[in-house]
Amino acid sequence: MRTVGFSTTPNLVLRLPMWRSRLMLFLLFFVFMLLLLRAFWIQGPGNAFYEAKGVRGTQRELELPASRGKILDRNGQVIATSLEAKSVIAYNDTVPDDLAADKVKKLAGLLQISEAELRKKLKDDRKQVFLKRQVDPEIALQIKQLEIPGIGLNNEYRRFYPEGEAMAHVVGFTNVEDKGQEGMELSRERELAAHPGQRRVVIDRLGRVVEDIAIEQLPQNGKDLQLSIDSKIQYLAYNAVKSAVEQHHAKAGGAVVLDTQTGEILALANYPSYNPNDRRNLSGEQLRNRVLTDTFEPGSTMKPLTISIALEKGVVKPNTNMVIGAKYLVGPKPITDSHPFANLTVSQVIQKSSNIGTAKIALNNLSAEEMWDFYTSVGLGQAPKIGFPGAVAGTVHPFKKWVPTDQARIAFGYGISASLFQVARAYTIFARDGELIPLTIERSPGVKNGTQVLSAKTAIEMREMMETVTETGGTAVKAQTEGYRVGGKTGTAHKLVGKGYGNSYRAYFAGLAPISAPRIVVAVMIDEPTGGSHYGGDVAAPVFSTIVGETLRALNVAPDTRPNLMALDDKSPTEVRTANVQTQHVVLKR
Amino acid sequence: MNRATLTLLALLLLCALSLVAAQQRARQLFIAQERAQIEERKLNQEWLRLEYEQRNLSKSARIRSIARNQLHMAPISPERTLYIKEAP
Repeated sequence: MRTVGFSTTPNLVLRLPMWRSRLMLFLLFFVFMLLLLRAFWIQGPGNAFYEAKGVRGTQRELELPASRGKILDRNGQVIATSLEAKSVIAYNDTVPDDLAADKVKKLAGLLQISEAELRKKLKDDRKQVFLKRQVDPEIALQIKQLEIPGIGLNNEYRRFYPEGEAMAHVVGFTNVEDKGQEGMELSRERELAAHPGQRRVVIDRLGRVVEDIAIEQLPQNGKDLQLSIDSKIQYLAYNAVKSAVEQHHAKAGGAVVLDTQTGEILALANYPSYNPNDRRNLSGEQLRNRVLTDTFEPGSTMKPLTISIALEKGVVKPNTNMVIGAKYLVGPKPITDSHPFANLTVSQVIQKSSNIGTAKIALNNLSAEEMWDFYTSVGLGQAPKIGFPGAVAGTVHPFKKWVPTDQARIAFGYGISASLFQVARAYTIFARDGELIPLTIERSPGVKNGTQVLSAKTAIEMREMMETVTETGGTAVKAQTEGYRVGGKTGTAHKLVGKGYGNSYRAYFAGLAPISAPRIVVAVMIDEPTGGSHYGGDVAAPVFSTIVGETLRALNVAPDTRPNLMALDDKSPTEVRTANVQTQHVVLKR
Repeated sequence: MNRATLTLLALLLLCALSLVAAQQRARQLFIAQERAQIEERKLNQEWLRLEYEQRNLSKSARIRSIARNQLHMAPISPERTLYIKEAP
């Protein structure tokens, strides 16, 4: 047998070329270099991605909740507040498809929706579906106890309005996102809005927060807002308007109460109204804040303003006698009065609300420019600056375009338009001895100074003339208020329908009280009263009387017509107590 | 030499243990603070709720109807009111 020694195997005799081993060496080295580079990249410049992944596993961004500011009335009573509520969310990729029927039924019951609707929402293609928003905390707790996987609860706030309908137009409301939509909620959104904060925390394996890393943004609660409105006066004004609208089968109504000392709006009521806590099926009619956003021809409520200009000029005096007659021909259509008079004094022109008398005073004694100047100086034709959304300006056409017919008709309130609020504001000049004061809807104590637009003498004369309106023989005997001397002016305006005047009316009354030292200005408007009288003196004046009486009592203003005023210095307390057996209440002044 | 190493080792161990203890304590305190904050929020909400409830109970409409219907009270009328002026 031929043997071949291992060391002499012919294979080994083969000499491999050097380059093969070199290539291998190079390849191995190259791959290692790649690995090293990669490792270096991950550790160094390229590690943001992995760091982010790591952070996501151990850190969370949490929201720090903040709540929207409250709205308070002048006495600090809450009229809008945010309470915690929950929104129920379904994460549809986590909710099991074969969810037990009884659980679905229970959940639908708690959410107050039908089972079919709930199932439809759970089948939705979107990842997250709101099942219901602003759920009460107690119901939210019950939902949590059902322990359905994929059903989550989120914190949110729900706005509550304890005054409801009475205050709806002033306060407005917010939407589900807690953003103001109407009224003060809208106009003061910037101050009221809450700014939630954010913080970063470390969580453990089970998702519990174990450490704070940083507060990235501090939460900021919304600021509270205090209005000048008095809930009590607002409520009684709203009720007075509401019952008048119902009694006279009217379309709508509004009233405004102003404090003549501070320029604060004490009440601003509108009917029809709505419940801001439940805003389903809201119509535009209900939402309208008629006092501020509706303009109308102010009718006879303009007469005191026009006649004031003549009194101020000194061309007439309250007792100047005038020839009136049944008709006064200016332009194509004669001016008439609802009750014809042969002669009236200037004071009686106001008391009886004579169109002819006012037109004659304007045409004979005043220039168009003088009238325009005065109307503009009391705020007609300009939107009132009280920071309320939608407050309108009304129109006062430029005096250069006035022809005598215009001038005569504008003098008694036709061919000019204003909101009820503007009329009330203009009337503050009579209450403040000729001063026009700035008005505000926010609480602002202290007597305000205004601009003198009329002399005190004229203002006082006009006040006395306005008081005669409510006395026997005047157009608004029904404005009389027990205990207080009141004055004002009625207005009954034909409503414009299309291009002409239709058969519907607006009834107004604007006035002030008490006459001896005016404290409030009240203006009332009832839109389209039907069935019975449509005159301002019959429809709006009683509302004025109710509001004035109750407001002055609420403000603790001493009556100026009662004879039983007693001075404590000449009667002992026992005497006072026994003086009048019928006395039940004692009001202390100051 | 040997002794010094041992002492240092013991010190190191002590430090390490106290670090763990401190960490633990920090977490516990943190959890307590967290709980207190949640409690504060809850109480705050409770206060707002109570304030709202009180407001609801003191609404003009409610007072009026109770005074009129249950207590048979009548509104103040100047007819039955004696006004007393304070001595100047």
